[in-house]
Amino acid sequence: MTQYIIRRLLQAIPLLFIISLVLFILMDNVGDPLATMGGRRLTRKEDRERLTRQLGLDQPILTQYLYWLIGNDWAKIDLDGDGVAETPGTRRGVLRGDFGTSLRTKGKPALEAISERIPNTLILMLAAEGLIVAGALVVGIYSALHQYSWLDHAITAISFVFYSMPIFFIALVAIYLFAVNFKTWGLPSLPANGMFDPQVGKTPGQVVLHMILPVFSISMISFAAYSRYIRSTMLEVMNQDYIRTARSKGLARRYILLVHALKNASLPIVTVVGLDLPLLLGGALVTERIFAWPGMGMLFLESLKDVDTPVVMGILMLISVAVVVFQIITDVVYAWLDPRIRYH
Amino acid sequence: MLKHTSYLSLVLALALVLAACAPATAPTTAPTTAPTTVAVSTVPVAPTAPPPTEPPTVVRKVATFIWTQEFDTLNLYYSNKWFSQIVEQVFNAWAWEFDENNEPFPVLVTEIPSVENGGISADGTVITMHLRDDITWSDGTPITADDFIFTYEMVISPKNAVATAYPYDQIASVEAPDPQTVVVTFAEPFAPWLATLWHSIMPKHVLQPVFDAEGTIDNAEWNRKPTVGAGPYVFQEWESGSFARFVARDDYWGGRAKIDEIFIKFVPDDASQTAAMKAGDGDLGTFPPLSDVPGLKDVGVKIVIAPSGFNEGWFFNFHPEKGHPATKDLKVRQAIAYALDREGLNEKLLLGLTQPPKGYWDAFPAFNDPSVGVYPHDVAMANQLLDDAGWKDTNGDGTRDKDGVELVLRYYTSTREIRQDTQAVAQQQLAEVGIQLDLQAVDSDILFASYAEGGPVSVGDYEIAEWSDAPSFPDPDTSYWLCDQIPTDDSPDGLNTYYLCDEELDALFQLQITQVNIAERQETFKKITKYMYDNVIWLGLWQDPDYWLVGPRLTNTSFSGVTPLFSVDQWDLNP
Repeated sequence: MTQYIIRRLLQAIPLLFIISLVLFILMDNVGDPLATMGGRRLTRKEDRERLTRQLGLDQPILTQYLYWLIGNDWAKIDLDGDGVAETPGTRRGVLRGDFGTSLRTKGKPALEAISERIPNTLILMLAAEGLIVAGALVVGIYSALHQYSWLDHAITAISFVFYSMPIFFIALVAIYLFAVNFKTWGLPSLPANGMFDPQVGKTPGQVVLHMILPVFSISMISFAAYSRYIRSTMLEVMNQDYIRTARSKGLARRYILLVHALKNASLPIVTVVGLDLPLLLGGALVTERIFAWPGMGMLFLESLKDVDTPVVMGILMLISVAVVVFQIITDVVYAWLDPRIRYH
Repeated sequence: MLKHTSYLSLVLALALVLAACAPATAPTTAPTTAPTTVAVSTVPVAPTAPPPTEPPTVVRKVATFIWTQEFDTLNLYYSNKWFSQIVEQVFNAWAWEFDENNEPFPVLVTEIPSVENGGISADGTVITMHLRDDITWSDGTPITADDFIFTYEMVISPKNAVATAYPYDQIASVEAPDPQTVVVTFAEPFAPWLATLWHSIMPKHVLQPVFDAEGTIDNAEWNRKPTVGAGPYVFQEWESGSFARFVARDDYWGGRAKIDEIFIKFVPDDASQTAAMKAGDGDLGTFPPLSDVPGLKDVGVKIVIAPSGFNEGWFFNFHPEKGHPATKDLKVRQAIAYALDREGLNEKLLLGLTQPPKGYWDAFPAFNDPSVGVYPHDVAMANQLLDDAGWKDTNGDGTRDKDGVELVLRYYTSTREIRQDTQAVAQQQLAEVGIQLDLQAVDSDILFASYAEGGPVSVGDYEIAEWSDAPSFPDPDTSYWLCDQIPTDDSPDGLNTYYLCDEELDALFQLQITQVNIAERQETFKKITKYMYDNVIWLGLWQDPDYWLVGPRLTNTSFSGVTPLFSVDQWDLNP
C-alpha cells in the first residue's frame, strides 16, 4: 500500500505540470486583464502601455508561464519602457511558493487572497456536505427499508422537486421567505446575507445563524441526489444472499444493517464523496454570491471576471492538487472498506 | 459508518472553531457609566440632594452600506473602480471636492485656485494651491505640501504600477515654496485640472520609508489598510470578500462625524442587495435593478439620483476598411436615430426613471449647443432617409441592400440584462425600417479587450457598440475622438476605437483642452456638441446617473456625482 501511494504521488507530479501549463494557456485566452482596469471608462492608451510592461503582460505566453513557475528574480525586466532591461525581477515563482500578486487587488499576494477565503469555504461546504451525507444516509436507509411506503413516496417526490430546482431559485426564495417576509410578518427571521451582523460582531453564534440559509440551499439539491443513491445501493445489498444468511442466523436487525449492509453499500458512496470533497475547496459560486459569503467560489468568480491570472491559477492548482490527493485517499479508503481490494 | 459520521462531525466542529477564532468585534452598545440606584426609604429623613438621574444609554450609531462590488484596493491611485473611489471621502480626502450640484468646494485647500485670486497664472499653466493650516492625518501628523509632492512623485514613478498617471503625466513640476503652498506647473495650459487633480493624497511619512526600502509602493500595506488618512473616519479593518469598517475620528479637523461607525458589506448579487435593503440589513445601497425600485419605495427606501456625467449610448464604427459601409453614411446613421424609439425605451425598459440624453455632454448644459436635442421617433423619416441613401430591399427578404450588400449591422454590447433587453427592442424596431441587427453580447473583458488581444471594438470588427461612458466629469474633456488615438499596429492602445478622424472635430477637441477661460471653452464645446449631433457620431440611449438607495434610518444625506460621499460626516442615523 505504501508503495502504491508513493507511486501515485510521483505520477501526479508530471500530471500537475501539464495541468498548470494547459490552464495558464487557457487563462491567456479568457480575456484582457487591462480591459477593465479603466473602471467605468476605457483604460487610457498611455496607462495600458505602461501597465502591460509593469505587470509583465508584454512577455510571450511561455515566458510568462516560466516566470510564473520559477520566478523572474534571475532575470532583468524593462520597467520604465526605455527598451533596456535593467530592473531585476522580484518574483520567486510557484515552485518556490510564490504564486505572484493579484492583478485585481493590486499587490496582494495571490496565496494570501486565497488563504483568507479557505476557512470560510470549508465552514460552509463541510457543514453542507456533512448535512447532505448524514441526512441522505438516514433518509436513504429508511427509504430502502420501507420501500414503497407512503413516506418513501413522499420523500421521493420532495427529493425530485428540490433536485430539479436551480440553486439560485432556492437561495432567493429562501432569502425572501425567511429573511424578508418573516421579518415583515413579525416572525423571527434569518439574516439575508453576510457572515455576521455588524451590530453584534463576528461570534460563533452569528456565523452559525448566517450559515443556515446558504447551507440549506446547497444541501437541498445534493441531498436529493445522495439519498436516492443510498436508497438504491442499500436495496441492492439488502437483497443479497449474505444478508439473508445473517438474518437466518438470528443476528440483530440493527447489526445486520449497520455492519453488513451499510459497509458494502457505502463503497459507491465513498466514490461520490471522494470526488466531491476536493471540489468543496472551489466553494459554491452561485450560493456564495447570493448570500455574500466570502468564500473561494466568490473569489474565483471575481478573479475570473477580471482575468486575475495569479489568483485563478492559484485556485485551480489548489483544486488540482486536492483532486489528486483525495483520489489517493479514496483508493485507500476503498481498500479499508473492502478487504478484497489490494493495491500493488 | 458511525465512525464516518463522527469524523465528519469532528471536522465540522473544528471548522466552526476556526471561524470563531477571529476576535468578536466589540458590542456596539457602549456600557453605561456608573451604575445608578435610587434608594427608597419609608423613614422620613432630612432633605438631601436629589439622587443622580440615570445618564442616557449611549447607543453606538453603526451605518451599514452595501456595495455590490468589493474594493480592489484602498489606494485610489491603484484603482479606477467606482466602488473603491467613492470610499475615499470616508477615510481620506481630495484637495477639493464636489457637492450635490457638482460644484467644487475646498477641503484641504483654503480656496479653489482661480485667476481672480491669483491661484491660476495668466497663461493658465501654473496652479497655486494654499493649504489649510489645521489639517492633520489621523495619527496627528500635519498634512503639508510635502504630501502633495510625494503623491505626485509616486504616481509618475515607473516603479509604481498605478492604474493611471493622468493628469500627473501632463505636469512639468510640483513645488512647495513653503509647507502650506503647492505650485503645480503644467507643460501647457490644461483646462481639466480642476476635475482631475489631487483625487486622494498619500501620507509621505508612512509611504516614503516603504518606497525607500522596497523600491515601489505597489505592495505597501497602506494600500489595503490605510490606517492613516485625512478623512472623517479611520480605517479599522477589511476582511476580504466580506466587509470593511471605518470608525469616526474624534479629532477630525472638520468636526467629528455624527455616525460612529461605517460598516461596508460586500453583497455582489443585485437581488440579494434588494432583499437586504428590504429587510433593513442595509442603510445605503447602489444601482438597484430598476424593476426593484417600486418594491423598495414601498418599504421606505428612498431612491436618490445623482448625475455623474455618464450616458448609455451607441458608438458607431467609422473604420475606412472595416465595418459596414452603411454606418459611414450620415443618412443611415440619421435613419437609425429616427427609427429607434428612445423615449419608449426609457419609458418601458427603464420605468420612466431616465430619459434620452441630449448628446454626450448631456450633463453639461452650459457646454451643450441649445439646438442639440433628441432625434424624435419617426419611422417614415427613417425610411425616407434610407431610400435617399440608396438602401432598398431589392430582393424582398425584408432587409435593405445596396450594390449587393445587405444592411446587416453587428451590434455589440456587454451581457448586462438591460443591454440585452435593449438589443432585442432595437432589433425589432430597426427591422421595421429594413435594417437587420446581428446581436452580440459578450463579457466586458472581451468587449473592451485591447487591439493586441483582438477585442472586437478595438480592432473595428463591429458597426454599433453600446456601453455607458462619460467625459472626465465634472470636466467635459475626452480624447475618444482624437485622430492620434486611433489604434494601429505601431500604437495599439489608442482610445479612438471608433476610427473616426475628422479634422474639424479633432481641431476642436485639441483646442478645448488648452482653454482655461471657461467661456471660451464653452463656446468650443457648443461647436463640438452641434457637430456630433448633426453627424450622429454618438447616439444616446438613456442618461445613466448614479442611483443611491437610502434606507429609512439614514438622514441628512446628499450625494455628488463626482465625490458621492462628500458629506458623509454630516449624515446621521435614526435609532
